[in-house]
Amino acid sequence: MAVLRGDIELAGLTKSYDGVHTVVQGINLKIPDGAYCCFLGPSGCGKTTILRMIAGHEDPTDGEILIGGENVVGLPPVTRGTAMMFQSYALFPHLSVRDNVAFALRIRGLSKADRYRKTDAMLEKVRLSELADRLPAQLSGGQQQRVALARAAITEPRVLLLDEPLSALDEQLRVRMRLELQRMQRDLGITFVHVTHSQLEAIALADMVVVMDRGEIKQAGPARDVYAAPRDRYVAEFLGGQNVFSGRVDAIKDNLVSFAAPQMKHVAVPAGSSRVGKGDIIDVAVRRDDVDLIRPGIDLAPDTSSLASRVLAVEYQGNFVKVMLDATGEDEFVAYVPERVFFRDPYTIGDVVQATWPCHLARLLAKTTSPTA
Amino acid sequence: MSTAPQAVTMADERMTKRAIAPSRGGRPWTFYLLATLFTCYVVALYGPMICIYILSFQDVRGGLVFPMKGLSLHWFVDLFTQVRTGDVKGAFDRSIKLAIVVTVITVVVSFMAAMAFRRRFPGDNIVFALMIGSLVAPGLVLGIGVGLLFNAIGIETSPYASALGAQLSWTLPFGVLVMFAVMSRFNPAWEEAARDLGATAWQTIRLVIIPVLAPGLVAVALFGFTLSYDEFARTLQTAGPQNTLPLEIWSMTLNVTSPSLYALGTVTTIISFLIIGAALGTIVFIQRRRGARAS
Amino acid sequence: MRVSRSTISWLYVSPLMFVLIPFFVLPILVVLVASVFETDGFGGLIPTFTLANYATVLTSGLTFNLYLATVKFTVLTWFFTLLLGFFVAYFLVFHVRNPLLAIGLFLICTVPFWTSNIIRMISWIPLLGKEGLINSALLRIGLIREPLEFLLYSGFAVVVAYVHQLTIFMIVPIFNSMARIDKRVVEAAIDAGASRFDIMRLIIVPLSKSGIALGSIFVASIVMGDFFVTKVMSGGGSASVVSAFYEDISVLQYPGAAASAIVLTVVLLAMVALILRTVDIRKEITR
Repeated sequence: MAVLRGDIELAGLTKSYDGVHTVVQGINLKIPDGAYCCFLGPSGCGKTTILRMIAGHEDPTDGEILIGGENVVGLPPVTRGTAMMFQSYALFPHLSVRDNVAFALRIRGLSKADRYRKTDAMLEKVRLSELADRLPAQLSGGQQQRVALARAAITEPRVLLLDEPLSALDEQLRVRMRLELQRMQRDLGITFVHVTHSQLEAIALADMVVVMDRGEIKQAGPARDVYAAPRDRYVAEFLGGQNVFSGRVDAIKDNLVSFAAPQMKHVAVPAGSSRVGKGDIIDVAVRRDDVDLIRPGIDLAPDTSSLASRVLAVEYQGNFVKVMLDATGEDEFVAYVPERVFFRDPYTIGDVVQATWPCHLARLLAKTTSPTA
Repeated sequence: MSTAPQAVTMADERMTKRAIAPSRGGRPWTFYLLATLFTCYVVALYGPMICIYILSFQDVRGGLVFPMKGLSLHWFVDLFTQVRTGDVKGAFDRSIKLAIVVTVITVVVSFMAAMAFRRRFPGDNIVFALMIGSLVAPGLVLGIGVGLLFNAIGIETSPYASALGAQLSWTLPFGVLVMFAVMSRFNPAWEEAARDLGATAWQTIRLVIIPVLAPGLVAVALFGFTLSYDEFARTLQTAGPQNTLPLEIWSMTLNVTSPSLYALGTVTTIISFLIIGAALGTIVFIQRRRGARAS
Repeated sequence: MRVSRSTISWLYVSPLMFVLIPFFVLPILVVLVASVFETDGFGGLIPTFTLANYATVLTSGLTFNLYLATVKFTVLTWFFTLLLGFFVAYFLVFHVRNPLLAIGLFLICTVPFWTSNIIRMISWIPLLGKEGLINSALLRIGLIREPLEFLLYSGFAVVVAYVHQLTIFMIVPIFNSMARIDKRVVEAAIDAGASRFDIMRLIIVPLSKSGIALGSIFVASIVMGDFFVTKVMSGGGSASVVSAFYEDISVLQYPGAAASAIVLTVVLLAMVALILRTVDIRKEITR
């Protein structure tokens, strides 16, 4: 089996159980060779199902999966050149670390000497040599994760599929293991497809983030694009770091949209290329760390949007302070104020403040079809 | 009964979620009450059996009740030599051979059935209901049914046909229920991982499923052996002309009034204990071997 | 080519069916068929269709007495095994602090299960007999003048033998249910001010229900289907439905015996089905 390219293409990929309940709805996606791709979404959004379909543990109801340009639907996992790292690792409990890692080589019929030579080299790579004779039950979570990684990597796959690889670990270990995954991906030079519900994990690791909701892709792109320029309310809210609020369009002048509601009379948003008309209700996003707070009465620079509001709560976060405001009615509105800035003139609950940001930093969001908008 | 082996193999797991008794401080009065009850139960459980073991070592004057009359192996010799007690040696031989066959079949078939029952399939409830039915049906009625059936199609009843089948109709439901409990600890992701690493279905069974479940399979074997070795009601009408051991004991209880009956009890119990010891030893050995490589 | 999953499941389960069909379904059907035949009086069957055998079975006062005796033994045995089994399991799970000790004690309870039932039954003879240990002890301390006759070869002895054999069938499933009860649930109840009796009534018993149901199925079906213990331990004094069946068979009264067997089987299955309605044992075991 020649190792070919590890680019993946999903075309019209659909999965439905019992023909009624569709969990993946006609996904189209291209993942380039050697990319680190994260599927991000809440549980039940279909991300794991996609991963399992790529791995060959589930068959799509419809659509195609191409790996290295070759349709793999219907092929058994082993001929796809993929390897999967299972959620909570699924290490064989009766086999030592070495035998776990050597399993695939044993299946391929390598002699004991050959497979142990290769295995020991792999264990070296993941720094598990001293633990080679342990049983999985005798390992810590982080060590188990490395064994799982080694066990998958030894098959020399062109695509490594990781199902929630970090969710079984505690917070500190998770950060360390993130680095480990990144290092492995660079070393191996293969495509990683990683499924997670943690946006922190996704944007820290991925070259390409795929945000999913109810079996559909909401947005796919480089981590920074998805985080900084979410396409719609769902993506903005799921990735966090954004204030999202909606308003009725009053006028569009000089490519700036202004709003009808009186409390939003000082808000203007660049219309960009989106087509909006007077009377439309639109979603606006502005990054929480782009919002400045100033006391009322202070003059604003031109081209600055502002919302008058009251402080609802203040949460100290260490390197910044999270100030929650009642600026946008039902929508949560938060400002991340740098710690030093905040404590120069601290706000307390009930203070009246103006939340301001340069107009060009706000973004119009695409109208979501979901009723949550 | 399905969980006796679990208790053996899952001892460590139980440790984590056990015992409401306060971990410090004095015992509540209920402890002493229940401890007394438990002690009485164990005494009543073992006491009578120990009595007959002791009484079986009497000499030729021995009777069926205490006090002991002398000390000898007379009744053991009597058991295997006297014609009037029937063919005890042959019955042992037949029962053990039959039990071994039943054990092997029970382990294999229960394992396969439990594999099927891991997911739902059309008709699974019917199979399950038949199994429970077979478990609770009166053994003698079933035995006679088998006898009549063989009669009707013109086959002689014999240990390795009718008796084997009748015993399996009893050991298999037990075996499958035990396998259910054993299987519930099996993570299906192990199987998928094996498949992902290129294993065929057969390799997955051989290299992953069977080794992981090995202690449970030993437990099923112990069930199969004991239930067959001790089976009476279903075997009575199906064993053919020659007796199995329980049938032999049954006929002895009706005619023999000497301590050789007790001697027989002692011998069968020794065999039972050897079998239990072998089974537990095997389970410990499996666990040890896993642990040894790990040290 | 891919084989469908349900085909694979059926392949796996087929050996089981190859045993259950010829050795459970067909024999029961044979007995059913025999129950509507007539006998020629010499063990031969005359293929007809008659419900006369059922009429005889269902109208005879003898049948009524047999069922009464069987039900009596079943209920008594069930009651005592449940009582013992429940409290033994409760003691092991909730009162023994050292978990390894609890497992050890549990194993002590289960070991006799693996030894011969018949031998365990016989072993009561030197204890309960006229000159047995109990009678001689009672005589010696002067509590009685005459040996107690009811100890052996009596209904009492039958129940003793059943309880001795079958309590384990209660202990194991109840132990298993109780071991799964989250200790914190009980602690929460204590925090809420529940007394020991409240905890027992409101938490332990409801959460052990499935174990109790499973144990009851085992005990009831074994006692109702048994004839051996009744025959030996009652000294022929008591009969049960199955022992009467056995007598009928030995005098070649197949159709009558078959009719009675079918009635018993139906009663048993109905009882088990009723218990199973309250607890899904398949889910219970596999969970």
